[in-house]
Amino acid sequence: MLSQLPKEKWTYDTAAHLAARAGFGESPSRLEQWTEQGMEATIQQLLHPDNDTTPPPNSMVPDQFAEFREQVRDATSPDQKKEARRALRQATNQQLYHLINWWTRRMLTTPAPLVEKMTLFWHGHFATSALKVRSPYKLWQQNETFRHDALGNFGTLTKAISRDPAMMVYLDLQTSRSEHPNENFARELMELFTLGEGNYSEHDIKESARAFTGYRIDRFEDFRFVSNQFDGGAKTFLQQTGNWNGDQIIDIILKQPAAAKFISNKLWKFFAYEDPDSQLIDKLAELFRQNYEIRPLLETIFSSEEFYSQRARDAIVKSPVQYVVESGRTLGVNLPDGRTLFAVYQRLGQVPFYPPNVKGWEGGKSWINTATLTFRYQLARQLVLGIRLVNEEPAKAPLPSPTTQSSPLAQASPAAQTTPMTQTASLTTQNAVRLPALQVDQLVTAEDRKDPEATVRKIYARAFQTTLDPQLFDRILDVAKLKPLPLADDAIRDLVALMMMTPKYQVC
Amino acid sequence: MSQEPDLLTRRHFLRTSILGAALSWTVPIFVERTFSLLNAEAAETTTQIATGKDNPILVVLQLAGGNDGLNALVPFADDLYYRARPTINIPRDNVLSLDGYVGFNPRMAPLKNLFDQGKLAVIQGVGYPNPNRSHFRSTEIWQTASDADKYLKTGWIGRYFDNCCNGEDPTVGVTIGSQLPQTFTAEKNTGIAMTPGGRLGFGKEADASEQQVFNELNGITQDHDLSSGASIGSLDGPSEPKLSAIEYLQRTALDAQVGTDKIGAILKRTKPEAVYPKTPLGNELSLIARLISGGLPTRVYYTSQGGYDTHNAQENSHNNLLGQLADALSAFSTDLTSKGIWDRVLVMTFSEFGRRVSENASKGTDHGTAAPMFICGGNVKPGLYGNHPSLSTLDQGDLIHTVDFRDVYSTVLSRWMKAPAAKILGRDFSALSFV
Repeated sequence: MLSQLPKEKWTYDTAAHLAARAGFGESPSRLEQWTEQGMEATIQQLLHPDNDTTPPPNSMVPDQFAEFREQVRDATSPDQKKEARRALRQATNQQLYHLINWWTRRMLTTPAPLVEKMTLFWHGHFATSALKVRSPYKLWQQNETFRHDALGNFGTLTKAISRDPAMMVYLDLQTSRSEHPNENFARELMELFTLGEGNYSEHDIKESARAFTGYRIDRFEDFRFVSNQFDGGAKTFLQQTGNWNGDQIIDIILKQPAAAKFISNKLWKFFAYEDPDSQLIDKLAELFRQNYEIRPLLETIFSSEEFYSQRARDAIVKSPVQYVVESGRTLGVNLPDGRTLFAVYQRLGQVPFYPPNVKGWEGGKSWINTATLTFRYQLARQLVLGIRLVNEEPAKAPLPSPTTQSSPLAQASPAAQTTPMTQTASLTTQNAVRLPALQVDQLVTAEDRKDPEATVRKIYARAFQTTLDPQLFDRILDVAKLKPLPLADDAIRDLVALMMMTPKYQVC
Repeated sequence: MSQEPDLLTRRHFLRTSILGAALSWTVPIFVERTFSLLNAEAAETTTQIATGKDNPILVVLQLAGGNDGLNALVPFADDLYYRARPTINIPRDNVLSLDGYVGFNPRMAPLKNLFDQGKLAVIQGVGYPNPNRSHFRSTEIWQTASDADKYLKTGWIGRYFDNCCNGEDPTVGVTIGSQLPQTFTAEKNTGIAMTPGGRLGFGKEADASEQQVFNELNGITQDHDLSSGASIGSLDGPSEPKLSAIEYLQRTALDAQVGTDKIGAILKRTKPEAVYPKTPLGNELSLIARLISGGLPTRVYYTSQGGYDTHNAQENSHNNLLGQLADALSAFSTDLTSKGIWDRVLVMTFSEFGRRVSENASKGTDHGTAAPMFICGGNVKPGLYGNHPSLSTLDQGDLIHTVDFRDVYSTVLSRWMKAPAAKILGRDFSALSFV
């Protein structure tokens, strides 16, 4: 079932499949190189990539909005307070836009695509939203934690996340003390992060919540353990009694067969296809459970024949992040930044750092509805032609105000935050940008332009990554043949847009 | 009427869209402009699509942000109200009394008129046990109709679609906005979102051949939709594994194009018959009125009015919101009455929560719990329903709900939509008698 793909079946096509799934697509020349070097070398390269030297995002320091908060606190009139809150909100949003853009560019240019892809996976898995956390610094730190352990050890990562300040704010762990343990984190730890529903009891939640008491955040936005808030007493958790602390609880969880299955299944679904046979997952889980190392698990998935099977082909709807990054990485379209990039992600249905709730993004077909698909198609043209992004939509819901977090009602905050995204940035004429049009010379030579077939072939290889689907190819060629030769820039851009506006471009 | 005219019409739309231009602007404008480019012949045949003529229609109107119920439906006879809100109360003399105890905010005078005409019901003190005070989570609870500690994948209207609308047109649910609300999330038919972004097509500069190839590549062909005679919605939904990702995308592309084309066609031959306020909500309700009168086979429309998160200096902003709401609903009522279809329509408002009883230090109110819901329509049984929550017995400073919101949903589903409410809501809830 998980037998290795035979050497002779490794082709340009399988290399392209791997590139799209384990990363964000690659250029034809890179894919040719992968084809030549073979599957094993390619997978090793993905698992042990060159260092990504992307510098950290600008001016990202702990507690950077302290002054703004002081102004809110010291305001003497309601109007002043309102103005101070607005300033705080604006500064925070600007920095969040910057963070979203920074990660997007990193995914776009990274020499370590699998690391970024897994960072995205962990972000969806240990979902934490800026709507509640409101600290760009904490969210960036969490993002670096995901990246650091992206291919490492799942136990290490889970423990790191249990003391991750962004997560602690999101699931109210930083207010949990021995007299009043908050169960939010303990519940989600088991239900969503490790075991899945049905593999623990309410009693296990209550007991384990006691073990995660005393976790605090200091003024440098770092984790701090406050032992006098910690409940060091005996706890009976999953039938085991001891004076467990949080890390020990995680160790007990990882001994459950359900944990290895839960993560293996989720990874297979993320990389290969939905609803795999249970025997396949059992096999993966058996391997994973030995030590919860992520690299060997991914290596097994990516080298399995099943991963390259017909069932896996075109089976995954690209997430909005995949759609945006891959379009930049493989076709070379220019991407917007700042608030416009935020608004683009929002209308596509996935904003990094803003998962809809603690369950993360549902993914799969749920990425696509009439509105998001219509927008994908409009966006394709806009990105390729470089026309202005102008689509006005009135803000519908309130901006989250800082009081949401600091009010005395904060104890009532939930395990999950969900739709709708209340932070509506619209693509208004005011903030519209004119992107440079796609540089056609990156895709085709002057010689290619004289030959519609050569041109379509070149673009097709970038857009769809895989080898030709003759029917699709022919229909696009039909359009190309109607255009005057040599093909002008805009004629070629039309062809690129046409390819992006197909069902096939939405999947990988 | 037989299926034939409907199919002809749909084919005609497809043809028009293949040859026609694609446009995108803001909601009311884009539809009108789109339509102006459809040819007159299409406009003529479209007059025959009126399906679902007698079906009841529900309009769900979300008051996003947490409506301060106590300043909308004011318990003006209770001193505790004035004590809790020394600076932001509605003065007793200004309140539009409904029963001597509660009355409307004066900016809601148009709704008072509807109440007096017998077209408005007010459900008091609506909420749910163990209330959650997060916008996001509480909105999710209202949209999925779950218990406070449960997470449901589908929305309550989505489950209505799944249970009662199989095989129907994708426009069975229409939401105005770019994101489908979780209310509509369904296993099979999730309805369509009408976006300001406009219609699905290759682009306005596209020539006919490009547009045609675009349609073919997206599975938007006459054969696909029409020769089988099957309606679009009868194809399997996203939950069906046998529909591949590509097939699902093709279906969505078709839904998007047919839906927006139909809507464009309807807007060509309908117009408002009332003066709507020039507000986003006014525009949206005007649009919905035209879609209803144009015979779009929609059972549920969804739209929202934002801005209710009034933590600071709320007096003007909250009064304005209520005024905009009342003006828009009043125009909607007038419009649908002149169109002769007000009897078929029920509007239901909801908000994720009300606000705390006491005002805060910023002359605003923080997140609270129970709040009233407003139900209006030509066939509504008017009056006040449920008991107003006590202002003396509070739960940590918050109102204790007297009516479960799912009692209201249950009433709407069983009595108005004629749907199996218990199946959709997961268990029995008691029905009220406002319809």
